[in-house]
Parts: sequence; structure tokens; C-alpha cells
Amino acid sequence: MSKNEPITQINAMAQAPEEQPKQKSRRGVEWFAENGIFVFTAVLILSAAIFVDGFASLQNITDVFHRAAPIGIVAVGMTFVVISGNYLDLSVVAQVATAAVIMIAVSNEYGYFAAVLAAMLAALIYAIVNGVAVGYFKANAVIVTLSTTYVGLGLLRLLSGGSIFFGPPDGALAQFGAGKLGPVPYSALVLVAMTLILAFVLNRTNFGFTVRSFGINERATRLGGTNTGLVIIGAFLVTSLSAMIAGFVLAAFSNTAVSAMSTGYDFQALAAIIVGGTSVFGGKGSVLRTLLGVIFVSVLSNVLVLLNIGLDTSRWPLEF
Amino acid sequence: MTQQDTIQLGGGELSLWGKIKLTIARRTEGRGVALLAIILTVALLTEPLVFTAYQVTLGRIALIGLVALGLTAVILMGQLDLSVASTLAASGVVLAIIPDLTLGIIAALLTGLLVGAINAFGVAIIGINSFIWTLGMLFFLRGVALVISNEAPVKLTNADAGIAFGQPLIGPITPRILIFILVFIAIQVFVSRVKMGREFYAVGGNPQAAKDAGIPVKRRIFTGFMISGFVSALAGVINTLERTAADPIAGSTVLLASFAAAIIGGNYLKGGRGSIVGTLIGAGALGVLQVTLTLSGVQVPVQQIFIGLVLLLAVTTDPNNLRAVLSSIRSARSSRVKVQKPASEPNKSTAS
Repeated sequence: MSKNEPITQINAMAQAPEEQPKQKSRRGVEWFAENGIFVFTAVLILSAAIFVDGFASLQNITDVFHRAAPIGIVAVGMTFVVISGNYLDLSVVAQVATAAVIMIAVSNEYGYFAAVLAAMLAALIYAIVNGVAVGYFKANAVIVTLSTTYVGLGLLRLLSGGSIFFGPPDGALAQFGAGKLGPVPYSALVLVAMTLILAFVLNRTNFGFTVRSFGINERATRLGGTNTGLVIIGAFLVTSLSAMIAGFVLAAFSNTAVSAMSTGYDFQALAAIIVGGTSVFGGKGSVLRTLLGVIFVSVLSNVLVLLNIGLDTSRWPLEF
Repeated sequence: MTQQDTIQLGGGELSLWGKIKLTIARRTEGRGVALLAIILTVALLTEPLVFTAYQVTLGRIALIGLVALGLTAVILMGQLDLSVASTLAASGVVLAIIPDLTLGIIAALLTGLLVGAINAFGVAIIGINSFIWTLGMLFFLRGVALVISNEAPVKLTNADAGIAFGQPLIGPITPRILIFILVFIAIQVFVSRVKMGREFYAVGGNPQAAKDAGIPVKRRIFTGFMISGFVSALAGVINTLERTAADPIAGSTVLLASFAAAIIGGNYLKGGRGSIVGTLIGAGALGVLQVTLTLSGVQVPVQQIFIGLVLLLAVTTDPNNLRAVLSSIRSARSSRVKVQKPASEPNKSTAS
């Protein structure tokens, strides 16, 4: 019982900045940033269902979920790094590809258990390198993760020889990738499960609160007796583990893996997070909002494809 | 150079050694110089070809460094400009789709200025974090480049002019190297000698103080982003001319290389400290490293690993960052002693 008290207190603290008076010019923008996504998503889905041919079909919605799952899993994990006030983790590109390649290449030789262990080790290394550089060395997260992306992708290309790995067509992984529970693909279920777990971690555990309070006020969190470096490593670890699972899902989906398969995941995930209304300055935001952002972005690109607008043009609206 | 003036103002009675020590303490290029020295030594021992074929090395340094020079102007003000990579690609495509060469170059450079102005508008007027705004710009421009080029590389109509552009002008100096040197001198003079450029440091060091001192902060941010946009457009023009074709997705490696050059050169990402000379040293170190690796027959992935590691090393060994590590170790050690006592007391009280 006594454990609940600090939780509600910190919860109130987390919401306190929203109640503070704001500059007039920012008010409209902030209202939009906070609540616009609910309206936009609802309007988009409704109008798409009414006006766009083929959107409301079961097949199409299944496809949307299939496409959204890996990016969504990356995005909900990366929300932790964004909420901790460290902008983003660019190295998810390398992490997703590493996990996918390890999953298929290692499992072909040594079985799934060894593959998962190896992928977890890789995720841990990424989290520690990023987390130590950002948390303890106070280096800029963008530059640190940019360089780890290059090192990671370079290592991956070197070790894999840049070749494409194929899983056995009737393996457990391929069956998982093609499997569905009713109309819902397993990958979408993984996305929903990850969202619920991470939402729980962010909103109901000490670690989640500390990440948020670090994003709101770094100094105060440190003076409050928190080991802030460890918190940052933790936030990067959540992102790395999510990227690992996203890599598994991606590998299962296509039953192949290559080092270039996750290009653009970093910014697509960031776009979903920002569209969801999580503040890039840290502190504000939630995992559920990110899920909403993922749905919005993937429905939007699906609608653009259905309306036969070119692939390149469909990238524009993602940014604005 | 102006720093020397302040040294004389600050302590006229310092000995020569004291002056040297003070100058070293004030300069930010230390790590860049150290890295360049290490790389040059290694290159000299393992691959002397780097120096005999200095034309190649210089060309590589100019390729890496040009965008970094413009970027430094923005970094000095504590802002980031991620859109440089796709500004380069977009301006190259603009040059290639316009049949007339002169008109094309003008249009391409104007594209760069326009992009810089839009970036500055978002950052200074709307007040969005420069990282997010220019990130959006990066994608928007890549989309634009893909649309106007129909998603394929565009051939330059006047290919002869492009080939002529790649030929050495004076001795081994190709126009690319010449332009690089000119841009370096221009920005160096602007930042260290011109009042407007000196104010970049003030804006980066403390924007509020700069504003209170009467510096038009917003206008300076416009100037900085437009320099960055113009220089990256210039790099795009040079790339397109030398290759006689424009690639709409060019410049993906430029982003890493230019940031790496600026950071290795000691430019502080939060603004206010750094120098153009530092960026030149950083670009030199990276360029020599790349050429050495290429000449030694190292695979491209290994080169990526090397450059990524150098960047990681550069960003973590910033003096401020090292100080942060030391202080966090110190505070961790002292807090462990302090925290343990009060933590044990409440336990006792609840138990009793």
C-alpha cells in the first residue's frame, strides 16, 4: 500500500507542467500536439473507410497491421529514449537488421534458443555503448547513435558478407510470420502486447517514472538521488530490446534477412512518436499515444497507396 | 586571432610560456590536431602513397569538408542542420534538369539559400527545435529531389562542361579544391573578423545574453542557416558537375562525414565554442583516414566502422563530456556514503 503513494505523487508531478500557464502563441499548437492526434486518427480512418475504395476490406486492414508491426514495435520502444529527453536512437536501424540477421543466420545453424541469446547480447551491447556515452559522458544522443549505427551496420555487413539469409520455409519462424489469430496477424499481436507491457513499465514502475522525471528535469532527478546514468542505459535498453523483437518480427514476416532491410526505420519510428504527441524535449508523452501515431502514419500511407499517389510523394505528409 | 587580442587584454604581464599555455587552453582544436597527427603518422608509416598522390587526398578532404564548413556556422550558434545531405541532392537535381548551365547553377544555389531561409524560419520565427525541423526538411527535400528527377539519376545536358570542370586548374588543384579553399577562407574571415560573424559565438554561447546585448539573434540565425544551405548547394553543384549526373539520393554519407569533421574539429554542439580551422583539421583527419583505408584495400564496411568509431571517440572525449564523467563518478562515490545512512534510518523507524 505504501508503495502506491509515491507513484500517485510522481504521476501528479508528471502532469503538472501541462497545467502551467503557457505563452499565448504556443497554446493552439500545444493543444493540437496534445489532443489533435485523436481527432485526426478518427477522421482519417472514418473518411478512408467511407471514401477510399478497398480500404475497409479485411485483407487491406490485415496488410496495414502487418506493415505497421515492426515499425510500431521500434516506435513504442524508442518512446522511452524520447521521453527521457534524448531526442532519438538512430541506431535502431542497425539493431533491427542485426537482430533479424542473427535470428535467421544463427537459428539455421544452432537453433532458436542460441539465436535469441545472441540477439539479446547484441541488444545489450548497443544499449550499453549508447547509454554510457549519452548517460555518463553526456554526449549528444543524435551523434552518438549516428556513429553506433555506422559501426553496427559496418560490423554486420562485414560479418554477414552482405549476403541474404533465408530461413527454412517450414520452420517455426516462417509459420509465426504467416500465422494469424482470426484475421489478426501474430505480428500485430506482438505490437499490441509490447505496447501494453511498455505502457505498464512507463506508467506503473519506478523505472518508468524515473525516465519521465529525467526528461522533465535532469538536474532535479539527479539531486533526488537517482543514478541518472543507469536510467539512461535502461531507456536505451528498452529501445534495444524492442528493436530486437522488431527484428525478429521482420525476419519472420519475410523469412529472409539482409543488413539493409531496416533502412528508414529510425525516422519512421520518430515520425510516429512525434505524430502521437510525445514531446521531443522529453518528459511528456506516452506509449499508447505512440501506438496511435503508428496507426495514423500507417493508415495514411496505406490510403496514399490506395489512392495511387506515388511512393515518393507519400513520404511528404509523414513529416508535417 | 581575435583571441590573441583578448589574451593581451586579460593578462599583459604573462610570460611567453604562460601565453602559450593560455592560447592552448582557449583553442578548441586540440583533439582534432592530436587525431590528425596520429592519422598522418600511421598513414606515413603504412601507406606513403597518401602523400605522393596528394591530389586524391586533397580532393577527398574537399569532398568531406565543404559541407562541414557551412555546417560549422550553424553549429557555432548551437543549432543543428540535418538537411544538408538532401539540400546537396536537391540542388544537384535542380542543376541537372535545367538545360542551361549558368541558369542551372544559379537556380541550384538559390535552392540552397531558400532551404536555409526555410530552416531558419522554422527555427527562429516559429521556434521549433532545429534538430526536428531540419530533420523534417531532410525528408521533404529528399521527396522533392525524387519527384523532380522522376526517381532516377538525371544526366547533365552539358556533359562537356562537367568534364572540363573536373580537370586540374593550377598544377594538381581541381576547381573543387579551389572552391573549398575559397569557401574556407571566406567563412573563416567572416566568423573571426567580421562583427556579424563574431556575433555567432555570442548567439551560441548564450542567446538571451546576446539578445540583451542588442544582437539581432533571429537575423543571425537566418544568416547561419543560409550559409549552411548555400554551401551544401555549392557542394551539390560541384558533385553534379564532376559526375555529369545528379543522383536524387546522393549525400547519405555526407551527413555523417560532415558532422564528424565538425565535431572532431572541436566544435561544441551546444554552441559558442569552436572554429572553422577546427573543422578543416577534422575534415583533413577524416579525409586522410578514408584515403589511407581505401589505398590499403580495406573493405567498405571496415571503413564505416573506423569512421563511426572515430566519431564516437570524438563526441565522447569532448572536454565538457569528460568533466561530466568525472563529476558523475565523484558524485556517485560521495552519494553512496551519504545515501546509505538516511536510507537505513527510516527502515529502523518503520520497524520500530
